[in-house]
Order: sequence, then C-alpha cells, then structure tokens
Amino acid sequence: MFKSVDHVQEALIGQQYICDKNIATVVFLAEQLEKPVLIEGPAGVGKTELAKVVSSVTKRRMIRLQCYEGLDEAKALYEWEYSKQLLYTQILKDRFTSLMDSAQTIREAAELVGKEDSVFFSDNFLVARPLLHAITSDDAPLLLIDEVDKSDPEFEAFLLEVLSDYQVTVPEIGTIVATHKPLVFLTSNNAREMSDALKRRCIHLYIDYPTEELEARILKTKVPDAAEDLIDDLVQMMQRLRQLDLKKTPSISETLDWARALLALNATVLDEDLVNQTFNVILKYEGDVRKAQGELGKLLEKKTAEAKVEAPSQAEAPTPATVKKGALH
Amino acid sequence: MQKKILEFTNILRNSGIRVSTAEAIDAFQALDLLSIGDREIFKDALRTTMVKRGEDVPSFDELFDLYWSGFYDSLREQFGEAANRLGDFGIDLEELLHQIAEMLKNMEGEVGDLSELAKAMLTADLNQLEQLIMNAASAAEINIENFLQIGFFSRRTLEQLNLDGAGDEMRDLASALEQAGMDPEQVAALRELIDGLMEAARKVVRNFTERELQKQNHDYMEKFRRETLLEKSFYHLSEEEIRRMREVVERLAQKIKNILSIRRRRLNKGKLDLHQTLRRNMPHGGIPFELVFKQRKKDRPKLVILCDVSSSVANVSRFMLQFCYSLQEAFSKIRCFVFVSELGEVTHVMQEGDINEAIEDALEGGDVINVYTRSNFGYAFHHFWQNHLAAVDNKTTVLILGDARNNYNDPRAWCLRDVFNKAKNVVWLNPESPSAWGFGDSVMDKYRPYVDIAEEVRNLRQLAGVIDKLVL
Repeated sequence: MFKSVDHVQEALIGQQYICDKNIATVVFLAEQLEKPVLIEGPAGVGKTELAKVVSSVTKRRMIRLQCYEGLDEAKALYEWEYSKQLLYTQILKDRFTSLMDSAQTIREAAELVGKEDSVFFSDNFLVARPLLHAITSDDAPLLLIDEVDKSDPEFEAFLLEVLSDYQVTVPEIGTIVATHKPLVFLTSNNAREMSDALKRRCIHLYIDYPTEELEARILKTKVPDAAEDLIDDLVQMMQRLRQLDLKKTPSISETLDWARALLALNATVLDEDLVNQTFNVILKYEGDVRKAQGELGKLLEKKTAEAKVEAPSQAEAPTPATVKKGALH
Repeated sequence: MQKKILEFTNILRNSGIRVSTAEAIDAFQALDLLSIGDREIFKDALRTTMVKRGEDVPSFDELFDLYWSGFYDSLREQFGEAANRLGDFGIDLEELLHQIAEMLKNMEGEVGDLSELAKAMLTADLNQLEQLIMNAASAAEINIENFLQIGFFSRRTLEQLNLDGAGDEMRDLASALEQAGMDPEQVAALRELIDGLMEAARKVVRNFTERELQKQNHDYMEKFRRETLLEKSFYHLSEEEIRRMREVVERLAQKIKNILSIRRRRLNKGKLDLHQTLRRNMPHGGIPFELVFKQRKKDRPKLVILCDVSSSVANVSRFMLQFCYSLQEAFSKIRCFVFVSELGEVTHVMQEGDINEAIEDALEGGDVINVYTRSNFGYAFHHFWQNHLAAVDNKTTVLILGDARNNYNDPRAWCLRDVFNKAKNVVWLNPESPSAWGFGDSVMDKYRPYVDIAEEVRNLRQLAGVIDKLVL
C-alpha cells in the first residue's frame, strides 16, 4: 500500500518510470479507492508500461487481457469444457449403473444422481481465462485490460460487472466474488469512445505526449549512456516533429528507440545525414518522412542562425551549448 | 468545502461535462484520502474522478482556474504588490507588522477593537480575506448579467465588506500609534501601506466580480451552443461551430453504429447449418452441444453520393459526407461524386488520409472540377448518365445532395429517371424547405417524380434522421 502521492512518485521513479504528479495521484487513488483506472492517450506514451511498473512496485502479479475485435466471454472469462465433462460421464457410467442398482424407483435413482451433481458442475470443467484468474486469484493481482477500445461494445458491457463489483457470474456455477480485489488498469487509444457506463466506474487518466523537460528526464533515465547534448537535440527535434501534421505522430517510445539507435551508431551529436538515415526509426510512413525532411531543413537553418547570433558573444570560451548548435549543420 | 465542490460540479455539468452523482461521490472520497493543501493534487483528484473524456480536459482546466485558484492568486498578487511597494521605502514589512502588533498589545483598550477585515488586512491573512470577500459578495447578492454591471456590484460588495470603515479604523490606528510615540518615519510607511492595502482590496473585489461574470457567461454560452447545435441551420455556422459540429456528427454516427451491430446480430440467426454443426461437435463425440446457424447474407447497401459543392450548400455537404464516411462499414461500397456544373469523382480522395481533410479537399473540387461556376444540375446529371451509369445497380442507393437551384438551365430530368429506374433507391437531401421547391430557379419539382425519398435537411437532427433511415 502506498502512503502518499509522493511515495507513489518516488516508487515509480525507482522503477525508472518518470512521471508527473498527475499520474502518481491517479495511481494512489486507484489503490485507495479500489477503483479501476482508465488510461487514455496516444499510442506509445507509456500506458501499458505504467501498468507493468505499478505491478512490479506493488509486487502484484500481472494478468494481461489483450482486447481485439471479436473477443468474447469464452476467451476473456472462462470456457466450459463440454468434452471433458462428457468424457467423465462416459468413464463413470459403470459406477453410476452400479450405484443405481440399489435404487428401487426412478425417483430414488434421480435423487442419487442429483447427490453427485457437484461432480459434473464444478470448477473441474471450467477453463479459466484472464478475467476469472484475476477474480479467483489467491493474492491481489494487477489486471491489465489492454486496448479496451478495440473490443466490441458488447464486451464492454460485459466488463461492467467485473469493474464495479469485482465479481463474475458463471451460469453453470453461480457468482464468483473476488476474495482479493485486483487492481485494474484499462488502456485505450481512443479508437472509439468508451460508453459512459464504463467511464463512470473508472477513474480517468489522460497521458499526453511529454513536455520537453519530462522527455529529457525520461531519456536520461532510460538511456543513461547517451550524451547530454545529444539528448537535448533529440528532444527538441521530437517536440518539433509533434507539431507537424503527421499520420502517425512519434511518441516517447519512438524517442527511446531513436536514442538507442543513435547510441548504437556511436553518435554523440545530431547532424543532418544521421537524422536522415535514422528517420525511419521514428516515422512509420513514407509521407511523414518526406514532410519531416522538409521541416528538418527549416529547423537546421534556424539553428544556424541562432548559432551565428550567439557565437560572437561567447567567442572566447565556447560553451557546450554553442558546440551543440554548431554541430547540427 | 463540500458546498463549494458541489457548486463546482454543477458548473461542470452546465458546461457540458457529464458528471454523475456517483462520480461526485468518488471525488469526495478521493479528497478524503489526500491532503487538500496541495493545489496540484487537489486539481488532479477532481479531474481524475469527474472528467472522463480527453477532450473535456481543457474545459475543466479553464473552469477550475476560474472557480478555485484564480481568485486566491489575484489576492496574493495584489497584496504582494502593496507589500513590495513598502519594500521600496526600505522598510521590512514583517518587522513593521511585528511592531504594530507589539504596540497594539500595549495599548489594549485605548483604540477600539479593530474589525475582522482591518485585522486580516494588516496581518495579510489571505485566507481570512478570501472568506470575508466571498461572504460580502454573497450578501451583496451578485447576479451579474453583463459587463456594465461590474462597477455596480463591485461597489455593493465593497459596501457589504465595509472597506471604507476598515480604512478609517486603520488610519485612526496610525494616528494613535503616532501619538503613542512611534517613529514618524514608520508611521508614514504604515500610512503608505494602508493606502496600498485599500487599493489592493478594491482591485481584488472588482476582479472577483469580473470573474463572477465570466463564470456565468461560460455556463450560459456552453449551454446555448450545445442546445442549439443540433437545431442550428447549416447556413449560418462559424469556424468554431463547424469544429464542434464535427464532434456531434461523430457521436451520432457512433450511436447509429452501435445500434447497427445489435440489429445485425439479431438478423444473423438463419437456418441450422448441419454441416458446420457436425464439424464443430466432433470433439464432443458427435453429440451436438453447440449449434451452428447459417449466417444470413448481410444486405449492405451500395452508396453513390452525388454532392453539390457550390458554396450555398457547402456545410450540408460537409456533414453529410462526414456522416456517410463515419458509417463506412455500414455500406458495402461508397462512390462519391462532386459537382457544380461539371461532375468529378472524388472516391479516391476520400479513401486516403484524414477524413476531415479529405472532405475539405472534396469541397474544393478535389482537383477534378472547377467550383467557381454556376450550378447546373442538368449538365451534371447528364455527365453522370453518360459516364457512370454502370456504377448504379439494383443494390445501390443514390444519395443526392443539393438545393436544385439550376440557374434556369435545362434540368434534363430524364437522366435522373434512368438512374431512378436502375437504382434501389434515390434519396434527395435538400437544404431548402419543401415550400420553396419549384419556385424561382428551383427545379426540384421536375426531379421529384424520380426520387424515392426527398427530405429537407437543414440541421443536424434532420440529417441524422435521414441517415438512420438509409442504413437500417
């Protein structure tokens, strides 16, 4: 259990997940209020990562349910194993016949069979899927329902029971209530808007693209080997790219990939050739690459101009900043 | 505090952010667990429990500042300024205040007890001040409607607050201190401080009234916008309204989609599929536990859209196109043509990239037609008849959008007749009301015999109604 919002933030940073207070507050509230969290935001800003980190901080086992179109109860909650049940019936047929021998009337026989009901309708024939696992687990796990916006509206409605009461109803057996309430995270890319009923039951977290300062901090933590100048350049470049009207705006996960790629190429500063060669790490569409290349030219021009203005005043002792800016062209 | 939060909830609701009672309760529970002292956390807690849509966040931020932090901040700023000016005199405020407190203690009883307000001002107790001003404002029954009333209500609040009284008290205090033998320089500084504080208090109260007005205006404007958007005529839309309208169209389309998927599912149950049932149940020893039914063939209409993009109907075209393309999966195929007088196909434009951009592109003629001519429906239909009649078959719904204002050209209704004979349905959406059809240069009456459904579509509600009929 977390003690305070600051405690959450420290713990997350301890796991190399750099976040602002907003995220920490939501995580704290989720655990205290025992409510599911609906995390929305563009792809690659660390929605799923947050769930993973929280699971390792709180030492909860993570159970993950990946949503997709056509996902139904049988794959999310449980499946009834008819064939196993059938097999049992056939194997036990002889025993039943001998049991039945003692019965005088049909009614008695039926009662005898009825006594053994529980043999055929028990967890034995229930194949648990992620949701049932999360509910019946011996310890309180963390349930991650990933990309819930990809599921059908019907499935969303079916989730409501789990989310509000932490229980599921299995027609063959009855209602199963969670002994240890799981911590539930739902992530959504907003492919479609979730229903109000679902939203009402959750507390909401919107993770946007990080600010320049936050992104730099994330990079420094996650890619500690990268030179500081390189990181600053990278972050500035990314912030600018996000202003462009791209088909797929690069997010923090792309920034990390890019930093690692540049590191692998032994780059210490960002220059035009390097950027052009590695653009495909962050941009996933040909059109986007073309657009970004146009912008890159402008950006570099501006940098040159800035460097020229700054250069005379700091001519005698070039600081790292001017070196960095000079190196960009 | 509780009352304030409930009031804030109401303001959110009035601004179009849905906050259910359960969510308000969540907010209270969340605040129980957190220290309210931290403004950031307080704000996050309210946001995370009450606001559930990313798009509503900016709205929430704005309202939050208006309601919670803005006033306190301005209070701090104004009083900070007054104190700073004192700093210019080279006098430490803390020290001065300390001295005053000492002197006051010594002179107990000699000066009449200071009022709450004067005390709060002299000790710079901002929380107390905030409370006093709020109380005065509610006693003054501020019910502000326009900016001309700001002065009036500010004055009334000041009267309730009895600021002038407090000023007199403080000045008396300064004189008393002078007589009691306080350093004249310090007394001068104190007088300066008192003037500064009075000025600051006036500004703060005015500021507060302005905020009240903003708050009420915000509620009013939002409500007004939302209620009218559905009914608002397409002819008069501002840029901002077009943007908001897009959201509304999206929501409506989503609604129809949801209904569709339920309806489909019901339709799907056809006859028992014996072959599939046997195959599926082989693991159960051939005993049919799971029955498989034949899927009834989905009868999705093909859609051919003929869209007048002349400026008079541009807005209707915009939203109709957005509607149709948001519901793409409800149709097996959409082909889209635009015309003013020439006709051009823009299906390919609509298929790539962002739908809203594509629509704007298509409205510009999509590089295939010239939009700077006068409408000629006859010519456009003839062109369609010559080149694209094959696009129409007995599963096709032809959706025509235009005002049928033909500029006295030949209507060539026979082209539409041939289309009508081949198509499953011809639907005409006209932004003009039926009473105007056939008058002036309108040739709607000539086309009407060859149209199955002709509807007036002047606002979003009507548009949604027609689209609903179309897909079900």
